[in-house]
Amino acid sequence: MARYECDVLIVGGGITAAMVSQKLSELRPAWKIIVVEAGKRLFDFDKRFEYRQRNLDYGENQWPGDFVADQGGRGIISRSMAVGGSALHFGGVCNRFSEEDTRLKSLYGLAADWPIDWKDLEAHYCEAEKRIGVSGEPGPLKEDARSQPYPMPPMNMTWNLVQLKAWAEKSGIPFWTTPQAKNTVDGYNGRSKCHRCNTCEVCPTGARYSPDFTYKQLLAGKKIELHDGTLVRKLVLDDASTKIVAAQAVKEDGSDNSVEYRAKAFVVASGYCWSSHLLLLSANSRFPNGLANSSDHVGRYMTGHLAHETRIDLDVKIYPGMNEQHSLISRQFFRCATDKPFVRHDLRVWEAAAGGPRLRDATGGLLLGDDLVSDWRARIVRGTARVRGYFDVHPDKDSRLTLDPANRNKWGDPLPVIQHKIDAASESRQAATLQHFQEIFAQLAKANDGKVGRVSSLGYQDHPSGGCRMGADPSTSVVDTHGRTHDHENLFVVGSPTQPTGGCTNATLTFVALALRSTTEIARSQS
Amino acid sequence: MNRRDALKSIAAAAALPSLTRADLGAQSPGTDLTPANISALRALAEVALPSSLGADGRDNAVRRFVAWVRGYKAGADRGHGYGNSQISPPTGPSPAAKYPAQFAALDAAAKAKGAATFAALPAAVRRAVVEAALNEPQRVTQMPARPNGNSLVADFMGLYFNGADARDLAYDAAIGRDTCRGLDGSEKAPAPLGKGLRKSFSGSRRSGK
Repeated sequence: MARYECDVLIVGGGITAAMVSQKLSELRPAWKIIVVEAGKRLFDFDKRFEYRQRNLDYGENQWPGDFVADQGGRGIISRSMAVGGSALHFGGVCNRFSEEDTRLKSLYGLAADWPIDWKDLEAHYCEAEKRIGVSGEPGPLKEDARSQPYPMPPMNMTWNLVQLKAWAEKSGIPFWTTPQAKNTVDGYNGRSKCHRCNTCEVCPTGARYSPDFTYKQLLAGKKIELHDGTLVRKLVLDDASTKIVAAQAVKEDGSDNSVEYRAKAFVVASGYCWSSHLLLLSANSRFPNGLANSSDHVGRYMTGHLAHETRIDLDVKIYPGMNEQHSLISRQFFRCATDKPFVRHDLRVWEAAAGGPRLRDATGGLLLGDDLVSDWRARIVRGTARVRGYFDVHPDKDSRLTLDPANRNKWGDPLPVIQHKIDAASESRQAATLQHFQEIFAQLAKANDGKVGRVSSLGYQDHPSGGCRMGADPSTSVVDTHGRTHDHENLFVVGSPTQPTGGCTNATLTFVALALRSTTEIARSQS
Repeated sequence: MNRRDALKSIAAAAALPSLTRADLGAQSPGTDLTPANISALRALAEVALPSSLGADGRDNAVRRFVAWVRGYKAGADRGHGYGNSQISPPTGPSPAAKYPAQFAALDAAAKAKGAATFAALPAAVRRAVVEAALNEPQRVTQMPARPNGNSLVADFMGLYFNGADARDLAYDAAIGRDTCRGLDGSEKAPAPLGKGLRKSFSGSRRSGK
């Protein structure tokens, strides 16, 4: 068995772990930090043009091998398992939540307040934006005031977005561009300016942030050790205290299988699924329901948000494909008057294709050559906008991740199953929320002779989080405001699992900010 | 990657999918396309693709289809996508394995009309043969997002019409959907395609994701 000792062991190799290890190495440069990741390191940046092209041409994985075949589960569980995690793929959207997200109970009597002051979180948003490298423009609403400017200027609006902004604002709703983890200046954090390749899920130029860049910098500076291809199966409790003393792992390649890590502090940064999973797997005679789980809250309150979406046909000339991932956003509906029915959501607008080429016309007649092009052109005289809003729903206590004894990996460990369940109050709002969105879509369409298409609803919770929610009360939460588990003084859970609620917009920047805030405490308390 | 390196990579990538004239005539065993197949594709292009492409544009479309067939890898990792719970099954056998019988059927239909091969048919008759191939034995209703072997004609048309070049043609604008174009100037409408651009503008298709 291989054995390693370190000051801090970080379990997980995604964006949260990248940010924690980077900051920790700055705060405590003498510490030995080991990051353990079950998946591989995909440090083959020079091949990304080729991967992108193979994806465009053949639908092949643009991040080849970014998963561990038998580490899956049931429910909404991202299969990304590689150094960089899901943030290898993410589109780079870096919206902030709003103060309302942290005060749902106080303001609306709903869900739970977060045990964190908004100003404190806002400062860490600024830090997260700098470390990731976010380009953006401040919004016009005073409630969205920032203490620091964005690190980079906003990405240009394409012709399409210029037209769509002019249209959308006729409705009286203000829109501006979405902040993104994409370089708009050359050289920020050593990476290129965006070349508008239109394939942000795999950015071939490195303009869109992905955590592999951070890991490569840390490794080059010998700031951390990175043990990839190593699956942590269990955390081990000290016989005489509630401290964690070791992590037991296996090499995924089967070579010299067992590995043991001993550390002063353990940081679980394994995302919304695998963090709770590891704590549950680590059950022992003193914590029979899993580590950090004396409250029986590990794996509970799994959360995220839902969405309604439509396409609006418009009297606007749009050229689809100019920059399909870039969008407009309005945060006007992040706020909800406390004396009105509760509905909170973001509102996004993208360019969209009005119609594509088709082989047969509406009567079933074949279209070849020039006839096909004529048919296509007739259907794209007007433009199309894709409009979507993520809306705030709150988790039931029984929105859970549990272990599935019927589904095990090759090591015999039960795999996770996630069953999301929104709480009764959220359920009771569903019809009113849909009606609200239908009215918003109609308001937008009316502004320029538009027609609203079919309204579709997201059938799952997007941007999932939760499972180890933070709180001041150890009987109703798993970790404190800094991510330290209530049950174990040297065990931290950081990032998305700690979110009590999922907000109503993309969550990456929020859980990175929370993790950076935790890092300060980890550095302080373990010194 | 700094700007200079990025630009070098973009230039190198742009050269990836292109084929030379020699490639078009090359033969290899298995699922490759023969010179006779390529002649048939050229003849198909004359009736299935827009006339404004001209001979060079049609040749480019044929070249791309041949390159696609030659570049196909069976058993390739198709991943899972962002946030998906399931790993996609790997790519299947090459769709081109189903093409020889379909090329043969086109030639057989041509022989029934008195020509030696599909390519030897007059254009008007060729069109009728193509329409028949899309109606029988099974009625083809759409072009696949990527060639799947079920219909040679629909595969060939789909690879062109779902591509960035065809979108540019439809919108009469140099959108360049799959090209790394830079941010500067993107606030302006894409330039209209000039006559020459309409014929020769080349790019590649993107995924349906």
